[in-house]
Amino acid sequence: MKVEDIRVCILRMEGTNCEQETFDAFKRLGASPEFVHLKQLEGRDVGGDEARSLDDYHILMFPGGFSAGDYIRAGAIFAARIKASLSGDLRKFIEDGKAVGGFCNGFQIMVELGILPGMDGTMSEHPEAVLHSNDSGFFECRPTLLKHTNRGRCVWTRDIPIGSIRLIPCAHAEGKLILPLEEADALYERLFDEDRVVFQYCDRSGETNAEYPYNPNGSRFNIAGICSERGNVFGMMPHPERVFYRHTHADWYRNKVGSEEGDGQVVFRSVLNYIVETF
Amino acid sequence: MSISHLFEEMGLSAPVMRVKLMGASDQEMEGISREMAIGLSLDEMKRVQEYFAKEGRDPRDIELEALGQAWSEHCCYKSSKYIMKQNFMNRSFPQALITSEDAGVVEFDDDHAYVVGLESHNHPSAIGPYGGSATGVGGIIRDVVCMGAQPIAVIDPLFFGSLDAREEEIPEGINHPKYIFSGVVAGIRDYGNRIGIPTVAGSVNFHRGYTGNPLVNVGAVGIAKKKHIIRSRVGGPGEIYILAGGRTGRDGIHGVTFASADLSSDSEEKDRGSVQLGDPIVKEPIIHSCLEANEMGLLRGMKDLGGGGLSCVSGEMALDGGCGAIIHLDRIPLKEEGLKPWEIWVSESQERMMVSVLPRDVDAVMHIFKKWDVEAVIIGEVVPEKHVKALWEGEEILNMDLDFFTAGPEYCRVTLPREVSREILEADIPLPDRGELEASLLVLMEDPNICSREMVFRTYDHEVRARTVVKPYVGDPFSPGPSDAAVLKPLEDSWKGIAITTDVNPGMCEIDPYRGTLSALDESIRNLVSVGARPHSLTDCLNFGNPEKPDRLGDFAMACKAIGEVTDHASIPVVSGNVSLYNESELGAVPPTPTMMMIGLMDDVRKATTSDLKESGNIIYLMGRTRREMGGSAYYRSIDAGSDRVPDLDKQLMMDSMEAILEMNSDGLLASVHDLSEGGLAVALAEMCIGGGIGLDVNVRDVGSRDDRGEEMRVDTRAFSESNTRYVIEVEPREALRVEDCISRHEVPYTKLGTVLGDSLRITSGEDLLVDIPVKVLDHAWRGGMKRMMEGSQ
Repeated sequence: MKVEDIRVCILRMEGTNCEQETFDAFKRLGASPEFVHLKQLEGRDVGGDEARSLDDYHILMFPGGFSAGDYIRAGAIFAARIKASLSGDLRKFIEDGKAVGGFCNGFQIMVELGILPGMDGTMSEHPEAVLHSNDSGFFECRPTLLKHTNRGRCVWTRDIPIGSIRLIPCAHAEGKLILPLEEADALYERLFDEDRVVFQYCDRSGETNAEYPYNPNGSRFNIAGICSERGNVFGMMPHPERVFYRHTHADWYRNKVGSEEGDGQVVFRSVLNYIVETF
Repeated sequence: MSISHLFEEMGLSAPVMRVKLMGASDQEMEGISREMAIGLSLDEMKRVQEYFAKEGRDPRDIELEALGQAWSEHCCYKSSKYIMKQNFMNRSFPQALITSEDAGVVEFDDDHAYVVGLESHNHPSAIGPYGGSATGVGGIIRDVVCMGAQPIAVIDPLFFGSLDAREEEIPEGINHPKYIFSGVVAGIRDYGNRIGIPTVAGSVNFHRGYTGNPLVNVGAVGIAKKKHIIRSRVGGPGEIYILAGGRTGRDGIHGVTFASADLSSDSEEKDRGSVQLGDPIVKEPIIHSCLEANEMGLLRGMKDLGGGGLSCVSGEMALDGGCGAIIHLDRIPLKEEGLKPWEIWVSESQERMMVSVLPRDVDAVMHIFKKWDVEAVIIGEVVPEKHVKALWEGEEILNMDLDFFTAGPEYCRVTLPREVSREILEADIPLPDRGELEASLLVLMEDPNICSREMVFRTYDHEVRARTVVKPYVGDPFSPGPSDAAVLKPLEDSWKGIAITTDVNPGMCEIDPYRGTLSALDESIRNLVSVGARPHSLTDCLNFGNPEKPDRLGDFAMACKAIGEVTDHASIPVVSGNVSLYNESELGAVPPTPTMMMIGLMDDVRKATTSDLKESGNIIYLMGRTRREMGGSAYYRSIDAGSDRVPDLDKQLMMDSMEAILEMNSDGLLASVHDLSEGGLAVALAEMCIGGGIGLDVNVRDVGSRDDRGEEMRVDTRAFSESNTRYVIEVEPREALRVEDCISRHEVPYTKLGTVLGDSLRITSGEDLLVDIPVKVLDHAWRGGMKRMMEGSQ
């Protein structure tokens, strides 16, 4: 299909607040993004032409922010509302091979929903992981270097060469990925073996065991983003939409490369290319 | 004296008291004002008495409460307005589109305007630091939204007592600065981050003078299409008032009267109810829904409910549109049962917005609010008579003439400007040797007011919305130095940028409010010019002590004089502002604190310059004039020396330097630019080294000239003087001639200092080595200063 026919659902509820820049990223690449309030999918309080169905879209995007204030637990309320009314639609969406992505709070929501890491199927009944408070105890808004270590499974990063390092900032208080402790070792091994680790925090030389501040939250193996078994569901803590262009990089004025493209742009391009080829 | 006989239940369906003002004695009127805590003076009570005598009836409690609020210093600027009018208000500049409302509206480009506001939330933050600062952010965001603008930035200048203050220094009933500091920062973090507006600039200042009364100033900037700018007034009779957002509760009652009196030892206990509570997750949908309704052309007027609550908003919106209003007070959604009508009327509960809508658009507007799950209620209508009436189940419980109600008193109070000798009087301080100079520089790098604030700023999201081009820290992403100003690119289809800075140096203002304010303004201009922006508008937040004391008001008048002089000279309009008086506790008044928030514009954000050194071999110049004016300097503070000679301002040089740098920026000649502020030249150079992760070799032999007494400039003065209007610039060798030519053409004095080189900061004077410190050591001192201060004070 053509890129302009790709419909992107930028899902929001009270407290999502990175939706504009996420919308802009898809728009700039020629796709057709649309802001959709969760209530429009639920069919609550909507007028005649306001109701929407997930089926209308090719990409579902959970933007960053503080959905429902992150009260209870980051992403928990948003996830609970989706589970209550849309889990069937969402399951079908994923199983159809359409793309689902989430950055920051979006990633937290996807973990709460059980669609990531999705160790055994599309959507687990209970969360299989948690994004825990940063080791520093603080909200951390800072640049991070991400090494792309995915060998080709993730459709959101397939246009990024393996080993490539990108400067993509993070801004979160709860970004430390934790898997169930009793079987953690085996699960991490599976994540790596099944090529579901996508980005790892690293230092300037690309070492993925670098510590704070390179790893802003203490995530084990410096994991910053993961994908589902099929590679079409992807979440990461840092914000690629914030570095769509070069001039929002933390150090654009230090190495002027002559291109306007920022390090995050390729994430959006990859997934659009995937949809163009697949549908 | 008991005055209970002056209050009488009226027997209406709601609990409303008649207050027997007719025939009340002076003493009784003072008693009423005190008993009701409405803060009206005897003269003001007499005016009220006169009005109701003409009406032929006694006032009701709700009417006196409304007047107490409307006539408070906070709402009507009764002590400050006269002085501001004399100095800088009511000037007209072409770029200033609207300057009469809570936030200023200023031209950005042909189709767009930016909206800017700055407010204090001082007293609430003293009592409840977390809630006080959070609602400060909420309030200023609403001010921007109610002009129809999308907020794009939050800015927060903060002022606290010393974190290491000993318990016995803290008066009873006042919180420790560390408690206040942590709470305020957390409040801004949690609120600002949750509503998704980046906190891009601000400052954290420490000074003993804020121990009894911290200052929390909060600013916001928004952007709007000019055609979407909406006023805070009704369009005409027949329109419907809709109140949207949070429910009304007891929080925030008497907030403005509380802000208009000194803090006392029982404030903690007594005034807790005055602190509003915020809810960012109500606020965020309010922003969306109000902007959506406005862009669809469904709103005729919009105003936020801040200090003054429903009472001020319903009256002012109507009167500004040449109308009156009737409000059905029993329809207001409440947080809890049992609020008295007067409490509902004056409550300053947060997250509320009033819109005025044509009857035919009511359903469409209500639908938008419903879609966003924002509670909204039709509460009244606009009428032709200029009266405000409140009804409860149809019964009138308030009825006042709007001209009387909103025409607060205006005073021309006595001012007593302080005397400042400004002579070089300091006793001769022994000339420091190299070791002492190096030690002084390291002490300054970790000075509470100089060291890195990353510990605070990293907890604020300064990049959400993805439009922050120059961030609060610049240079190497993992070991950055300080940024002079934030730069944002507000529009999708334009490279045009907006630069934001906020400045004031309380140490200087405390000695000399006039020169201190001149210096704050110069610093604002320097910061904007350093990033390559042309100063475009000013918003101020003037924090001073009790205006009924002539010396306090004298300080205020001196600050206003300085603002008038500089803004006139530089053609920078004052587009909005806030005055916060009564910043006093039993420890005395806060240092005069005229906080400046200046906005600059630039044609292309890709031309922004930053302060971090770029490349080995580049040449370093100092622009401007260095003088022996050490009053209020960080260096004198660090060696415990005194001087009341605060840096003066040469306004011509200020303009000339600005033009020179902007020309060089436009021609792409500057690799980096940094202005000289606290700690002077040595600290500025060190900061540039830190951001660049590279060293410098400079010679300061030609810095400064003989001082007023004909003596040669001392080395410590060369290193640490905080004379105004000075910049350090880094230039590629091949551009040196063009740069020297440009600076000379603008008649700005300059000195070639040296070269970017190595991994140490080396400062010599002639043949004498003054300083040689590895950049890593400077970095360590500067970056860890605040953490050590927090830990050291435990």
